[in-house]
Amino acid sequence: MEWNKILSDKENKKRYTEYVNEWENKIHSFLEFDLDRQAPAQTAEQNVLESEKESATVRAAQLISGMPYAVKDNIAVKGYRLTCGSKMLKDFVSPYNATVIEKLNTVEAVPVGKCNMDEFAMGYSASSSALAATSNPRDLERSSDGCAAGVAAGIVPFALGSDTGGDVRQPASLCGIYGLKPTYGSVSRYGLVAHASSFDVIGVLSKELTIVESVFNLIKGKDEKDHTTAGYPLAGKSLSQKSVFGYLGGDIGLSEPVKQAYKNNIDILKAKGYGVKEVTFPLLEYVTPVYYTIAAAEASASLAKYNGIRYGYRSKGTDSPLELMKKTRREAFGDEVKLRILLGTYVLRSGMKEKYFIKAQKIRTKIIDEINSLFKSVDLLVLPVFPTTACKHNDAECGNRVQEKFTAIANLAGIPALSFPAGIYDNLPVGLQFLAPQYEEKLLFQAAEIIAKEIATAVPNAPGFKTIEEICTAGR
Amino acid sequence: MDKTIFETFIGLEIHIQLTTKTKIFCGCKNSFGDPPNTNICLGCIGYPGVLPVLNKEAVKKACLLCLAMNCKLNEKTFFERKNYFYPDLPNNYQLTQFELPFGVEGYVDTALPDGSIKRVRIHEAHLEEDAGKLMHEQNISMCDFNRAGTPLLEVVTKPDFKTGEEVEAFLLNFRRIIRYLGVSDGNMEEGSMRCDANVSINYIGKGLGRKVEIKNLNSSRHVRLAIHHEEQRQAKLIKAGETIVQETRLWNDDKKRTESMRSKEDANDYRYFPDTDIPPYIITKEFVSELNSMLVELPLTRRNRFISEYNLLLDSAEFLTEEKDKADYFEKACKEGADPQNAAAWIKGDVTKVLNREKMEILSSPLSIERFITLLDFVGKGKINGQTAKKVLDIIITENKNPEDIVRENDWEQVDDSGSLMPVVEKVLAENSTAVNQIKSGDMKPVGFLIGQVMKLSGGKADPKKVKDLVMERISAL
Repeated sequence: MEWNKILSDKENKKRYTEYVNEWENKIHSFLEFDLDRQAPAQTAEQNVLESEKESATVRAAQLISGMPYAVKDNIAVKGYRLTCGSKMLKDFVSPYNATVIEKLNTVEAVPVGKCNMDEFAMGYSASSSALAATSNPRDLERSSDGCAAGVAAGIVPFALGSDTGGDVRQPASLCGIYGLKPTYGSVSRYGLVAHASSFDVIGVLSKELTIVESVFNLIKGKDEKDHTTAGYPLAGKSLSQKSVFGYLGGDIGLSEPVKQAYKNNIDILKAKGYGVKEVTFPLLEYVTPVYYTIAAAEASASLAKYNGIRYGYRSKGTDSPLELMKKTRREAFGDEVKLRILLGTYVLRSGMKEKYFIKAQKIRTKIIDEINSLFKSVDLLVLPVFPTTACKHNDAECGNRVQEKFTAIANLAGIPALSFPAGIYDNLPVGLQFLAPQYEEKLLFQAAEIIAKEIATAVPNAPGFKTIEEICTAGR
Repeated sequence: MDKTIFETFIGLEIHIQLTTKTKIFCGCKNSFGDPPNTNICLGCIGYPGVLPVLNKEAVKKACLLCLAMNCKLNEKTFFERKNYFYPDLPNNYQLTQFELPFGVEGYVDTALPDGSIKRVRIHEAHLEEDAGKLMHEQNISMCDFNRAGTPLLEVVTKPDFKTGEEVEAFLLNFRRIIRYLGVSDGNMEEGSMRCDANVSINYIGKGLGRKVEIKNLNSSRHVRLAIHHEEQRQAKLIKAGETIVQETRLWNDDKKRTESMRSKEDANDYRYFPDTDIPPYIITKEFVSELNSMLVELPLTRRNRFISEYNLLLDSAEFLTEEKDKADYFEKACKEGADPQNAAAWIKGDVTKVLNREKMEILSSPLSIERFITLLDFVGKGKINGQTAKKVLDIIITENKNPEDIVRENDWEQVDDSGSLMPVVEKVLAENSTAVNQIKSGDMKPVGFLIGQVMKLSGGKADPKKVKDLVMERISAL
């Protein structure tokens, strides 16, 4: 049995549903799940694919065709709610499809549900969600974002997530799966609810590298509805034995398991005959403050539209529009969102803007310059994703903010990054990530393939995980 | 206000709604007066996940006006988010330009009523989106988002105006300019052109005073009145030794005075920062040359040319160049052979009168250039007299007919041969002996009456000059 056919067979669908329910009672990765939703009949859009005549795209279409998949609840799917993990949009049903959904519709992939997430994507483990608490299928005492948990539990073969500062790669690595953050502007943001517009990008999570690559090939490309998209260049670099991987040396604040995984994986690359080179990145400690300053500033404007006037939560018993807006926002936003809006408002106010926002923009430019100059001496970078393994529920210390420093680099610079399973340490998965120059996603997939061959057996599935084959044969 | 003690400084902020087919950031229709919330899409009402897509036509029209105002175009511009909460603002931030607007450092020349030319410097001009509208009914408020996303060009002048009259003349000229360019209809009553005035006064030679912003000015007349009122109010305060509060005031047209709306302390901190949904816009050389080819001769230049080229009086030239269509019509008629003086007189007089009555525009009316020239020709050659020509004009416009057909069908061709007129003259003279005697004794007053009688009997077709000659000839022979 394959994923592509699961929804068309009544018996299999029943067993699949049982499997999903079994997991969902434990991990709560979905906010909405509906197997009876079929992809709409295809129209003219299919011609786009045919006309592209790119063999990778054709293969991708065949692989993904008919697959069920999950969607983070900040990406619009017509008829599904679009809660963004917030009380503000708890009952808001999307009247339209994001461009990525339209593109996957053309191969008749089926969005079967919407995943729990941090409120307006502010976090990496859904712990700020106002609607549910999701557990990591590797260890139910630990937290996870819904997309990664659902994929790691085998509920869906892939999920579409969003990555603003690492929210695809971090949960993916903490659940032991792949997470791709594409080049900024390579995938349309139309239909992705904005957190911070200059960072946001839609990404892909899956246990299978080929699925990540195929889905990316299907959703990338220019979109007239998103000015920041560009046509994806057809020719990209390929990995060769001469390729050099850069890595960070010295104490970069990693926990013991992550430190070990980092070393082991670099050794694998070396053993396979690739060049590895220790590089320095002096601005590393500025990544988190710069990211927070700019992302919060952008979020303070992006989230201003939620005011109870046109849709979403509306406070009752107010007697003026101004009071209505104030009370609505006070009642429906959670603490993390309020904190970031306040922070963003602060760094933009007159008198402070020069000191914080403008300064952060200048450092961002320097970080981009530094990354670009690194790519003159190495082809890829290999970096940690998260300094520790998955945090326990409500572990405030574990969840402190400096943890975006490895992931937000790619968002600040708009470059692609792919987090990959790098081993199991103390029974928990550790992930690392490859970073490449803009539009060089192919390098990432090829590099991850090298590691996959070496450590596939070293990263077993989550306990209780079943393949779709196992799910379907279980009841017979 | 005593102008020997004080001087006034006035600067304007003018918002112009650009007449584009679609809105600035989406494909919705950009039109005025439709039922509420009919020209809206998900973007117009700030739905999550929808992105702005910049309308090139709006950019073109904005930059065209910048060039017409002699502005420099910034090579690279971008949009910024201006943050404030208001129920009719879909995203609760307005996309506008702040640091790098499209146009900077321009000027506009205006002819003042005394004949002098006033040059006003343009500080900058930037493109932005309009907000929706709030409507209040008893104790409920409603939002109409049809207007949300209408492209607006905000033009900011330097404080170069000295009087309300200068401002009024400028606004009339400015309105003509934007209509000439076809970038906006410039209707202040409907709000497609809105003007705020910054007014300050100070003792002569002391430089700018503390400025007060006046809003709610719905016509150029209101602007002038509000400035006058504000000058008086501020002068009185200064004379009494009080300081002017820097604030925003509203013009109350019923009470003919400005009223405080909010002081500077209550002003919003807009927290401008670059919007990254729309990448920076680069103005290329090709774009600028395309714009240059779209520029037209502006009203003031054209007026002066009409005076020198067609030998028109200032008054007529001013009238003809008010609207581009009218000026174009006039020039085309002249090119086709019409006498400029004659054409100007007709357009300024009866043509405009009839068109206004019929609520028609000159270019789209049944009075084609060809018909107009035929009409002028008939009069010039004496085929019909002036009075008949007016009737013919009326019929051309109201019934969409050719002048030659009208004259023929009504048998209006002028009669000027003595043979057919003399019997009528003799009849009239015989019936009005009192008048005839009066004239014979030297009192010429009844001549007009007698001519009128002959005209009446001839059905208006007689040539009045000929009739007069015949009447005088006949009386002197008696």
